Amino acid sequence: MIIFKTFLKVLNKCKFPLILYTTILVFVCGFNMQTSENSLSFVESRPDILIINQDEEKGITKNLVEYIKENSKIKKIKDNEQARDDALFYRDVNYIIYIPKGYREDFLNGMNPEIKIKSTNDYQASYADMILKRYLKVANTYQSMEKNENRLIEKVNKTLSKKTKVELTTKKDTDSIEKMSFYYKFLNYSILAGSIYVICLILSSFHEEKIKKRITISSISYKKHNQVLLLSNLLLSLVVWMIYVVLSIVLCGKIVFTSYGLICIMNSLIFTLCSLTIAFLISTLVNNKNAINGIINVVALGSSFLCGAFVPLEFLPKSVLKFAHILPSYWYINTNEMIKDMEVMNINTIQGILLNMGILIIFSIIFIILANMVTKKKLKSN
Amino acid sequence: MKKIIEVKNLTKQYKELKAIDNLSFDVVEGEIFGLLGPNGSGKSTTINCILQLLSFESGSIKVFGKEMMPDSYDIKQKIGVVFQEVAVFDELTVYENIDYFCGLYIKDKKLRKEYVQYAIDLVGLNDFVKFQPKKLSGGLLRRLNIACGIAHKPKLIILDEPTVAVDPQSRNNILEGIKKLRDDGATIIYTTHYMEEVEILCDRIMILDKGKILASGKIDELKQLANIEEKITVEVNDITKEQLSKMSKLKNVEDVSFNQPNLVVTYKKGNNNIVKFMDYLNKEKITYTKIFSERPTLNDVFLELTGKDLRD
Repeated sequence: MIIFKTFLKVLNKCKFPLILYTTILVFVCGFNMQTSENSLSFVESRPDILIINQDEEKGITKNLVEYIKENSKIKKIKDNEQARDDALFYRDVNYIIYIPKGYREDFLNGMNPEIKIKSTNDYQASYADMILKRYLKVANTYQSMEKNENRLIEKVNKTLSKKTKVELTTKKDTDSIEKMSFYYKFLNYSILAGSIYVICLILSSFHEEKIKKRITISSISYKKHNQVLLLSNLLLSLVVWMIYVVLSIVLCGKIVFTSYGLICIMNSLIFTLCSLTIAFLISTLVNNKNAINGIINVVALGSSFLCGAFVPLEFLPKSVLKFAHILPSYWYINTNEMIKDMEVMNINTIQGILLNMGILIIFSIIFIILANMVTKKKLKSN
Repeated sequence: MKKIIEVKNLTKQYKELKAIDNLSFDVVEGEIFGLLGPNGSGKSTTINCILQLLSFESGSIKVFGKEMMPDSYDIKQKIGVVFQEVAVFDELTVYENIDYFCGLYIKDKKLRKEYVQYAIDLVGLNDFVKFQPKKLSGGLLRRLNIACGIAHKPKLIILDEPTVAVDPQSRNNILEGIKKLRDDGATIIYTTHYMEEVEILCDRIMILDKGKILASGKIDELKQLANIEEKITVEVNDITKEQLSKMSKLKNVEDVSFNQPNLVVTYKKGNNNIVKFMDYLNKEKITYTKIFSERPTLNDVFLELTGKDLRD
């Protein structure tokens, strides 16, 4: 009990990094969540279109203009070409349609008159292009069969009035999952820079050569002393992990209670335990507190940058990603990415995640073996 | 007298170097046993072997009548060690440090509280219990180091140079504390470089060098080992080389040295040496302001046995 109590007292003196990095996590994730958009429901999008009609607004020409007006937002821009080009450049409009003089007459005569366009070439422009082409295709089809303009317009309108009801088949709350994924990805940095740093500091105090000597000559076995110390660290890690899970519920909401959330929680638990083994290894290798500070900075910042905790994995160069494979953080973050992109959860889609978790467990075992080897070597040399 | 420590034919080797060479000695109950020797003589190695912090090639060590092994936790329960290096947690207060190290031996909370208070009283740290080690002076730190080592009231206490770099007040406090521990029934092994401390504290002494015992016994017994019988110190204004050379040829004179203004003449034996030497000075018309005679000190014995060559 005295060992655990002393552990808590030492923890109390080293708690600052833990609080600091938890605050950073809450601040960054809170900010990220404020800026996210909701994409759960489908809302029809309308492109910004400018129509330059040089023909009479009559018959088929009038009908074409009305159809475009119905399916887009019509913009009014100054009547000169420079102003139109500027509007396209600044994305005030996505698409400009030039209806030439005599269009109606040429169309009814089956001459298929050309309509000139200018576009921003983005997805809104493509949608505007689709609207125009759709009308022209239908109108051209009926034009060859129907010579009466009114009946032709009637048929075109009837065909175009048929709308497809769009319904999202997936029940996945993409936005919330993305927020949660971001939180758990950033957690990589908080766990490494905060809790692991604190554990290393505590262990370095207990592993200081002169303190170790005093413990060795005492009536308590050094092995037993270390076991209590390891259990205390495990308990600390679990408590900190639980706090992080509660914070994720506060910041991300109900999504944490879905199967996606549970996988994120499970993944973070395995990563926390793996990080604990990293802390053991570092503390057996280095006892100097300043050196530990440097090493933790390199480990936490380095693996967070290289493995995509701060920058999405798709933006990282292939060579960096290849190197990142040797770091546990990569497999942890990769699982979070997989959860974000997963459409359906079943045994097939979950296999990759289980593999990542398995790799994290293998990393933990390797770190424990290395820590033991270093300890034994140090004991021998002493 | 009950033997607390029995070391027989202990040999410890570091590759080529024999750190301890067939060492045998006993420490009996209730005594303060002084372990003396120059740097690298094997004092710390001997202590580390007794505590099983080091393995050794041959020999046996019995503590409290039982063979000492690394897992002899029942024996370790009765031993307290104060290492030369201050070994405390920087993160804990004075009280918390003593409580932790005492807690490694004493499980009962109430008893431990009593013992911790006893240790604090003994080293005089009552006004500093809430201080962190970083805020303590060198002397206070040493006292804290001692308190951490003896708080569990051990029957055998090993003190490895506990007064190094300590101010006179703290040293006095520490020495008084050690005497009190002995009076309370503890057996103490004390290693130091300060001869005056040994003369004040120790009942028996063992002088080690190069892993071998050079001499052991009570202080008076050791002083008899020295070739010097009497040392006469004279304060003179000036003296010539010829006069010094003449003096060294006087009857029974062992050595003559002059370090302005002190002239030191050591005698092997003889009676009334000081009177005879004063007559000689008057005869030679050497003027002096002060003259006194003294018996050889432990320091003289130590230097004679271990030599005057500088050590690492």
